[in-house]
Amino acid sequence: MARVDYQPTILSGGENRSDDQIMAAHAEKTVRRVSGPGLPGMKGEGEPLVIMELLQRLRVKDVMRSHDIASVVRTDSMRYAENLMKRYHISGVPVLEDNRLFGIVSINDIIIALEGEWIGDQCQKHMSTNLVVLEEDMPLAFAIKYFQNYTFGRFPVLNKDRNFVGIVSQRDVTRVLMHELTNELARLEGKVVAPPVEAKGEGALPYYSMRQFVVVHNDLTNAGKAANEIKRMMKDAGMENKIVRRVAVAAYELEINICIHSVGGTLTFILERGKASIVAKDRGPGIADVDWACRDGTSTANDWIRSMGFGAGMGLANSKRVSDTFEIVSKVPNGTTVICGFNL
Amino acid sequence: MTIPDIVKTLDGTLVAGGESERTVGSVVANDLMSDVLLNDGEDMLLLTSLASDQAIRTANIVGAACVVVHNAKPLPQTMCQVADTLGIPLVSSPLSKYESCVRVHDFLAAEGKA
Repeated sequence: MARVDYQPTILSGGENRSDDQIMAAHAEKTVRRVSGPGLPGMKGEGEPLVIMELLQRLRVKDVMRSHDIASVVRTDSMRYAENLMKRYHISGVPVLEDNRLFGIVSINDIIIALEGEWIGDQCQKHMSTNLVVLEEDMPLAFAIKYFQNYTFGRFPVLNKDRNFVGIVSQRDVTRVLMHELTNELARLEGKVVAPPVEAKGEGALPYYSMRQFVVVHNDLTNAGKAANEIKRMMKDAGMENKIVRRVAVAAYELEINICIHSVGGTLTFILERGKASIVAKDRGPGIADVDWACRDGTSTANDWIRSMGFGAGMGLANSKRVSDTFEIVSKVPNGTTVICGFNL
Repeated sequence: MTIPDIVKTLDGTLVAGGESERTVGSVVANDLMSDVLLNDGEDMLLLTSLASDQAIRTANIVGAACVVVHNAKPLPQTMCQVADTLGIPLVSSPLSKYESCVRVHDFLAAEGKA
């Protein structure tokens, strides 16, 4: 799945500004860059690919609340906003008119209004107008990064036309993420076949085991992790260096192929008595001429991929070279499946 | 040729991956990772200009003993992290890849292994 370089949008403003100034600020947004969608506490080789894909696949619109949102208009009083916060147990109220976002009255604005004794004033005079907003099509990874980078407990969400479409809080993110992770784990557990008990033993090869890895399109930061993990599993099982290397080379080439040439897919490692297999399956776009693609030096890779050390057109040929059996099935636009078999 | 020998011969600095007792069994100079994967040599010294995580992951797949990146290229932090995690010594050298090849050849020739 492609990563899009979104930027946070800040609706700039200040107190005591005219409606025109606020509208102008709304129209001419100040854009400030923050770092990418990396996740706190998730670094290095241990970063689970399935979670990374989930955070890229889910969008802000999948987690935001778009109904029953308490809001005020600019001419409402701060007292009215305060009452809404009390009634609905919320810490901020968006200031909306015809789906256009003019500001937010935060709990802090209310405290200051009470102290300054202007709680009866109109919201437009004291609302916060220096806002950070999310866009509904941003990947969830960006929303999580925003919560990490800013102290706000919730963010307004705008659509492409800059209209207000919802609001997202950390609680919304947690709720949806827990639900999706539960579904994803159930799906993956259904794919893992545990080895029979009698086959287990110190240093012994498992009788039968299977492990599947998700490979994300263009995610060269993580590409190769699955192959390295497969290599580690085989070494831990005490397998010979030569066969470990052959399987790892095929797994690596096929993983990179899925990453750079397909829209994404899975890499599956299957170990059964006397045989190991790597199954690379992607969701498209498929290969029109499989014989051509399997020749050394043929590639459709672009310059960016080549600059990363890949795209020499040797992936399929290399995989075939190290395998004892090699099968490939491809259909445009459905996708490609490659199965490399190894006699142990 | 040991890791300290590589660092000294190539005027390099060991930047990640930690010390290692391994000695070089084969040498590959290449920036194309599929080319690297084609080699069957054991305990490979990989001389490359590719300053990316993938150079380290490729090195791990072929069981390389050490990776050297040339021309004092800035090394991404993630590359160093991957080298540390996988325990592959990563050396930064100010030399060109060609100059490194010559010096490594001369060293191995002096050892009678070239």
